[in-house]
Amino acid sequence: MNISIRQLFGRKPKSSSIAKQRLKLVITQDRFDVDDRVMTRLHHELAEVLAKYFEFSANSVKMDLKQEGNSYILVADFPYTKFHETNMRQ
Amino acid sequence: MGKVIVVTSGKGGVGKTTSTANLGTALALLDKTVAVVDADVGLRNLDIVMGLESRIVYTSMDVIEKQCELSKALVRDRRVDGLMLLAASQKNNKDDIQPEQMKAICDKLRTTHDFVLIDSPAGIERGFSNASAGADEAIVVTTPDVSAIRDADRIIGLLQNARIEPINLVINRFSPQLVGNGSMMDQADVLDILNIDLIGVVPEDSAVITSTNRGIPLVYEDGSPGAQAYMRIARRLTGQRIPIHSFEQKGLLNNIVNWFTRKR
Ligand SMILES: Nc1ncnc2c1ncn2[C@@H]1O[C@H](COP(=O)(O)OP(=O)(O)OP(=O)(O)O)[C@@H](O)[C@H]1O
Ligand SMILES: [Mg+2]
Repeated sequence: MNISIRQLFGRKPKSSSIAKQRLKLVITQDRFDVDDRVMTRLHHELAEVLAKYFEFSANSVKMDLKQEGNSYILVADFPYTKFHETNMRQ
Repeated sequence: MGKVIVVTSGKGGVGKTTSTANLGTALALLDKTVAVVDADVGLRNLDIVMGLESRIVYTSMDVIEKQCELSKALVRDRRVDGLMLLAASQKNNKDDIQPEQMKAICDKLRTTHDFVLIDSPAGIERGFSNASAGADEAIVVTTPDVSAIRDADRIIGLLQNARIEPINLVINRFSPQLVGNGSMMDQADVLDILNIDLIGVVPEDSAVITSTNRGIPLVYEDGSPGAQAYMRIARRLTGQRIPIHSFEQKGLLNNIVNWFTRKR
């Protein structure tokens, strides 16, 4: 709405508002950009916990950060071959 | 017990050294005892900005290497009571000092001074870890441009991880004219992005440059807008509650709206 009125009068948006918009975007990205070392550690720790319940081969595991709009999603794929049923009863 | 405050930024050249020199002097003018510490090992500047360069004999490196006592390495500023400078070594580099060694120096200084201000080097590496190692609080200096603000956000994240708080923001080189015509972000924009507390706005002021040329911190002559801005920040650091000065040259209506919507 704001923009369309401006366009009607043929005015360019202020460079300060462009700066603010661009900064907001890049800073959200910066803040969610997880350190590779942290991801590797998380990967190992998750695998350790899941190994108590499932059987899976270490090299089939995939972990990824995905961006959807303004939020980030941690996606982890642990394809398993077997469920350790006995652990459930303990 | 005094407070240790690291003055830092991420991006270089935004006014850390200028701010450390002026806030240190301003706090001493307010009758506080102050030690300013140059943590920019290898690229020392605080001594020359403060006009004390000819009196440096020992540096923090000498203290760390036990070549001299800390009290002997401190240079007393003769123009005001209670202000001391600990210079950085110019011939060493940042990796020659360990964070724990800086922390030990800060912990000693806080027993004898109300405020210990650390002038941090730019960057997020070793120089920053050394400068922030002994700090309780931080002042992040930024200019209102995209690169400085982005880097300030990175530094704020690192300070938060290190559990250093409060983290207060100084917006430096603010230009009311540029904000007025829409070519510079105003303080509300910067705060909206960085989301930390603002402790002051320092305008672009040519008196900063002339006072640096002379080696006489701006705040000794309380007339320029820059000097007044630094004096207000120093008062806030001592706990006085002073409203944030508005440099913006907007209409009366806008000022009224700003007053109601300002961040407290
Ligand atoms: N408010 C101001 N108005 C005008 N000039 C300024 C202002 N603040 C700083 N400057 C100038 O900007 C330059 C850089 O300032 P300063 O050395 O304090 O930055 P710094 O952050 O310590 O830099 P570095 O990262 O290299 O240590 C200096 O020439 C200084 O005089
Ligand atoms: Mg500096």
